[in-house]
Amino acid sequence: MAMDRLGRTWRLRVGATLVVFLAVMAALGFVIIPVIEGRQAGLDPFTAICRAFGIGTPGTAAAVTAPARPETHVAWTAPTFAALAAADKTAGATAAQAACVACHAADGTSPDPAVPHMAGQSAFAIFKELRDYKDGARVNDTMSPIAQSLDDKEMADVAAYYASLKPAGLDASHPSPAGPEIEAIALRGDPSRTLPPCAACHAAGAGGPLETPVLTGQSPAYVESQLQAFAKGERHNDTFMGMRAIAAKLTPREMALLGAYYATPR
Amino acid sequence: MVPARRLVLAYLWTAFTVFAAAVVLGVWQMWVRSPIAAPFSTPDNYYLSVTAHGTAMAYVLTTFFIMGFGYYAAETALDQKVPGPRWAWVAYALGVIGVVMAIVTIFAGRASVLYTFYPPLTASVFYYLGLVLVVVGSWIWCVQMIAAMALWKRANPGKPVPLAMFATVSNAMLWLWTTAGVAVELLFIVIPAALGLTETVDVGLTRTLFSWTLHAIVYFWLIPAYIAFYTMAPRAAGGRLYSDTMGRLSFVLFLVCSLPVGMHHLFMDPEHSSGFKFVQMSLTVLVTVPTLLTIFTIPASLEIAGRMRGGTGLFGWIGALPWREPMVLATGLAFVMLWFGGGGGLINMSYAMNAMVHNTSWVTAHFHLIFGGTVVIMYFAIAYEIWPHLTGRAPVSPRGQCAQLWLWAIGMMVMTVPWHWLGLEGQWRRVAHFDYADPAIAGWAPWVDASVVGGVILLVSAAMFVANLLAFYADATVALRPVPPQRYAIAAHPPARVPAMFNGFGMWNVVVLVLMLCAYGYPIAQSFILPAPQANVHRMSGAS
Repeated sequence: MAMDRLGRTWRLRVGATLVVFLAVMAALGFVIIPVIEGRQAGLDPFTAICRAFGIGTPGTAAAVTAPARPETHVAWTAPTFAALAAADKTAGATAAQAACVACHAADGTSPDPAVPHMAGQSAFAIFKELRDYKDGARVNDTMSPIAQSLDDKEMADVAAYYASLKPAGLDASHPSPAGPEIEAIALRGDPSRTLPPCAACHAAGAGGPLETPVLTGQSPAYVESQLQAFAKGERHNDTFMGMRAIAAKLTPREMALLGAYYATPR
Repeated sequence: MVPARRLVLAYLWTAFTVFAAAVVLGVWQMWVRSPIAAPFSTPDNYYLSVTAHGTAMAYVLTTFFIMGFGYYAAETALDQKVPGPRWAWVAYALGVIGVVMAIVTIFAGRASVLYTFYPPLTASVFYYLGLVLVVVGSWIWCVQMIAAMALWKRANPGKPVPLAMFATVSNAMLWLWTTAGVAVELLFIVIPAALGLTETVDVGLTRTLFSWTLHAIVYFWLIPAYIAFYTMAPRAAGGRLYSDTMGRLSFVLFLVCSLPVGMHHLFMDPEHSSGFKFVQMSLTVLVTVPTLLTIFTIPASLEIAGRMRGGTGLFGWIGALPWREPMVLATGLAFVMLWFGGGGGLINMSYAMNAMVHNTSWVTAHFHLIFGGTVVIMYFAIAYEIWPHLTGRAPVSPRGQCAQLWLWAIGMMVMTVPWHWLGLEGQWRRVAHFDYADPAIAGWAPWVDASVVGGVILLVSAAMFVANLLAFYADATVALRPVPPQRYAIAAHPPARVPAMFNGFGMWNVVVLVLMLCAYGYPIAQSFILPAPQANVHRMSGAS
């Protein structure tokens, strides 16, 4: 008898628990949450409830804007191309005179080995780096404030100006210290380290992403310092972490020799 | 000795033979996906291998092990013979024929559908018919389990059904409910399509029917592990089960809560509304309850054992436990893996967080850790526990068994921790090849390499497991010693009587019916009420 009574009590409890649980979850899932969220999407409560049941035609939900934090804000869209195509290198020369030549020199070949050469550099690369400095995607004590003083038009003009200059010649005064193993990394990569070749992107002609800079003739000390910065993650404006992943696999010696490799004739 | 020992051994050896072969495939698959060059590596071979590995592990190892162990539990826990022993051999024959049909079709390259039934990906009809035979065989087993308990109750009116058998029958009930979804999908949609009888398939409906099966099936696999937790581990530790009622409640809750939840596999699918997804997510939360009850009850039982063995203080009882006993060791290792795997599962079932890990290696890691880890390590421990009773022999020392269990747990952790991380990094599951020279994914390579090491450890452990079982037969001269009959753990307060609802499943089946109607009624009915959106209707390639 006691067991029967216990059984009845339990049946009631189980039934009540079930009903309450389902009622609460149905209220949340079909009414409360859809109505609240539907308000943000511009839906009236009735439509929101119908849609929670899967009934009714899809309405026009208001666009949800979630702030994305990309590595860089530069997008290779039609307006960007148009801005670069419309760049005026004469105006760029004037702007460079005010902002750039102190370090990068008027001919774009910097005397300071820590400062990159600009002459003959890709306009896409220069423009992208200037924008990254301005947006904070790339940080440098000297460059960040300078880039913040430029607008998009001035950046495109400066980029066009330096891209139009004749690049510095390669340093043929002494043989390259980079041996065949460095050339192998540059041209073929190292599959045992899943290291792609530098030339996969930094090719002489068409290569990787549009913003890929020209390395040939670049200051060796600058190339080395940038590889170190990528490896440590101090520089992080590379799309999809490409350069950070690659640089992290290089030894310090290889970084130095890769810089030399691109600065000497081969 | 157990009367049905030849039957049980046939089932278990079939399960473990297929398991051992499938482990080799699993390691090869990880090798293919890694940066290390692998032999035979083509996408076709990879998908063939995934299908074979998944079919073997998820359908063959589990079903044969659970059926064999069920027959064993029915005889030893109830102390009576299995009703209709011939039918058990019929079920075995159906299963073996079905497995051979499926495996031959897979290795003929005609069934590379990844062991899940998601049309329009369609295999040769022989693959499906083979699996149908396995399921039909398992239904025979379900009827026998239910009949065995009914006969025992008639002979022992008012007495509580022993927990091991109560749990086994809960699993049989669960399996009957579970297989309904996939059976309908196969018989009415997929097989006609594979035969070329239909031209289009509503993939929304097939995915929904498969989800009906897809989650509860993992609890079908899991329940033997829980049976060992409740009825074997406390005794092996030298103690008592903390609460018999808690055990009954847990197994009943598994039956009730694991069924109306499969839609959490479809959170990213377009065919269901957010309301039903929310309701099924809420029901999924309830599945944690029986596991949380178990996480309380089993350590409490082990604490009783530890204190009886002289352990003192807050944690002293843990050290006092007999960790050299394979069953105790496996239980401890299973709980560690359950902790991580369960945590990952909570993330999977959360509607919003699921979006982050959907279809990534995270999911593969989760079910390998829970199933391959927690569940399979308990299958090993159960085998070690019951093999002496099946063969009349016992090993001189359990050291080799313990070493095997340790390696399995270590290998599983080394394999799945990197997978979880890779999943968060976005590595897709079910992809045959990765180009790690691509800087976008080059950072994954060391993690993948580490997981391969885990796979190799698992391979070694699997080989040791088979060797340990063979040792029962090889060491006949040293190992022959009297084996006492199988005994299950006694509760701290053995139940004299229990309420009817904890001694049978009548009311619980009604609860399952109500929940399934609420959770799946409209989501399935909508496929018949509303015209299916064009995006959901796929053309079938016809017979292959």
